[in-house]
Amino acid sequence: MRAPSFPGRESLAVLRGRKTRGAGAGRPLLAEQPAGFWVAATWLAVLTFFLLFAPVLGFVADPDGYSRDVLQGVGRSHWFGTDELGRDMFARVVWGGRLSLMISAISVAVGILIGGLMGLLAGFFGGWVDTVLSAVINILLALPALILALFIVTVLEQNTRNVIIAVTILSARAVARIVRAQTLRFREREFVTAARCMGARTSRLLFREVLPNLVPIVVAFTFLGLGLVIVGEGSLSFIGKSVPSPAITWGGILAVAKGKLADAPHLTIYPAIVLFCTLMAVNYIGDTLMRRFDIRQSLI
Amino acid sequence: MATPVAVLRRLAGRLVQTAVVVLVVTFVTYWMLSLLPSDPCFLSVGTGATEEILAECRERLELDRGLFAQYGAWLGNMLTGDLGESYRNGIDVTDSLRDKLPVTAWLVLYTTVLSIVISVPLGMLSAVRRDTWVDRLLTGGSFSLLSLPSFVLGVVLALIFAAKLGWFDLGGFVSPTAGLLAHWKSLVLPVVTLTAGIMPFLLRLLRSDVITTLQEDYVEAARAKGLPRWWILLRHVLRPSSFTVVTVAGLNAAQLVNGALVVEIIYDLDGVGTYLISAVFNQDFLVVQTLVALIAAAFVATNMLVDATYPLLDPRVRVRNR
Repeated sequence: MRAPSFPGRESLAVLRGRKTRGAGAGRPLLAEQPAGFWVAATWLAVLTFFLLFAPVLGFVADPDGYSRDVLQGVGRSHWFGTDELGRDMFARVVWGGRLSLMISAISVAVGILIGGLMGLLAGFFGGWVDTVLSAVINILLALPALILALFIVTVLEQNTRNVIIAVTILSARAVARIVRAQTLRFREREFVTAARCMGARTSRLLFREVLPNLVPIVVAFTFLGLGLVIVGEGSLSFIGKSVPSPAITWGGILAVAKGKLADAPHLTIYPAIVLFCTLMAVNYIGDTLMRRFDIRQSLI
Repeated sequence: MATPVAVLRRLAGRLVQTAVVVLVVTFVTYWMLSLLPSDPCFLSVGTGATEEILAECRERLELDRGLFAQYGAWLGNMLTGDLGESYRNGIDVTDSLRDKLPVTAWLVLYTTVLSIVISVPLGMLSAVRRDTWVDRLLTGGSFSLLSLPSFVLGVVLALIFAAKLGWFDLGGFVSPTAGLLAHWKSLVLPVVTLTAGIMPFLLRLLRSDVITTLQEDYVEAARAKGLPRWWILLRHVLRPSSFTVVTVAGLNAAQLVNGALVVEIIYDLDGVGTYLISAVFNQDFLVVQTLVALIAAAFVATNMLVDATYPLLDPRVRVRNR
């Protein structure tokens, strides 16, 4: 639905360089979302609360605190049971999630910044800028995600910072490609031409005319990218090449639990459920937003 | 216009592009690995090495030459089929691959076939019964699978079907020559895990593809002619979508490689993924370099092939390009 307009208003807006409405604009973002959207959002909110406040929440135990309650099942004192050293699994899942999601959040943010800028410049300027930047993007895309991440962590040292660098490249290359395609769509639109004719400087065209139109896809990508990166980091720690122990991440918890599948399935099941719900939530929100903004699936 | 000449020219252009990407990727990986403070001679000779032995080894491996010369020599060897030997244990990479490649190849082959066999009928069903409970169930189900990374699903499947029910054992790969049943049994869980990672993409794409096709005039015409429903679906709806299936199956290569790496670890399959990971942990960088180069080449080539042959396969694209 468009905002009601009187004659001439649209052309006025074009002149002001403001008629930059893509599909879905004008509708409030959160109205009329399906129930699943709110379930997903609630899960993320609760999770974020636990992860952020884990150190001050009294009932989240010390994730490294050994005790005699070895390999306990689910109970009132240990929500997810305990592992073979008597450590509280709920605490480990919460603290593992802190690190997993911190790595993911940073790499998605930095990835959007770097990849977004690359895609924007490549798409907007075309010519040799596009040739060079697209070559870089294509080279980064020439390896499957896990191989690339594994290679980067191998070449750099295996520590938290370098794991972040590795997964950041994963999100950056995806953003760069999407943003480039979207920029190509928008740079030929009338409002950009109009602004250019009025003598707007390139920086204005880039950041005031084109960039605002990329916000929807970037918002949607934030969620899908989180999913991408959580899986990337998880697989990396599952292989044993993410953050070195004693630091814990979700992938690491599952890798350790794999050795005790037969005797202590609870070590696997609860972390797996939490990971699954989180991925489901970010994917669902991302997917809903993508459809909302009418973005073609094939771009991802 | 898509005359044969134009298609060939396009193909040639893509080929050059692909070659450049592979060259740059292999060079960058070579260069980055060479920066590591790891001396292959130290690895191969061991701690008891004297300076002379080390020097002799360096000369043999031509480590004292410049980066470009070294890379050139390595590339030349690769192109002539000499993949070199591990610095660690002196085993030829070619020999190792001869054992390990079939494992991964079977895994990938079965997965591709299974994911197509499952998702084609389900995707069509989902599209034909659009917005009914069947469709919702299928869409929701595939969406859930999308959120289940292979390292979670693989472990859970191993837990249920191997540890609890004991239907399969996690004993590693069994070659088809050692009995077909045992061979299949050894790959059921890995293939199911991998398929679950690939199928959702196929199913979702097929669904939207078929929904579009169902609205075409020629489908309406076929219906008006009174052709049986299954015939319309098979002949007029599925056929144009089959190109999409091929394309996506090709483009899922990345997903397959990622998954195969993890799945081989979970189920103790001695394939290329396990080989790469153990080489990484052993700092056996020549093997890492060679495998990464091979994977990059295979991956980029697959993408190019799918991309370039698409207009050859699909007459509609040919017409549209004209």
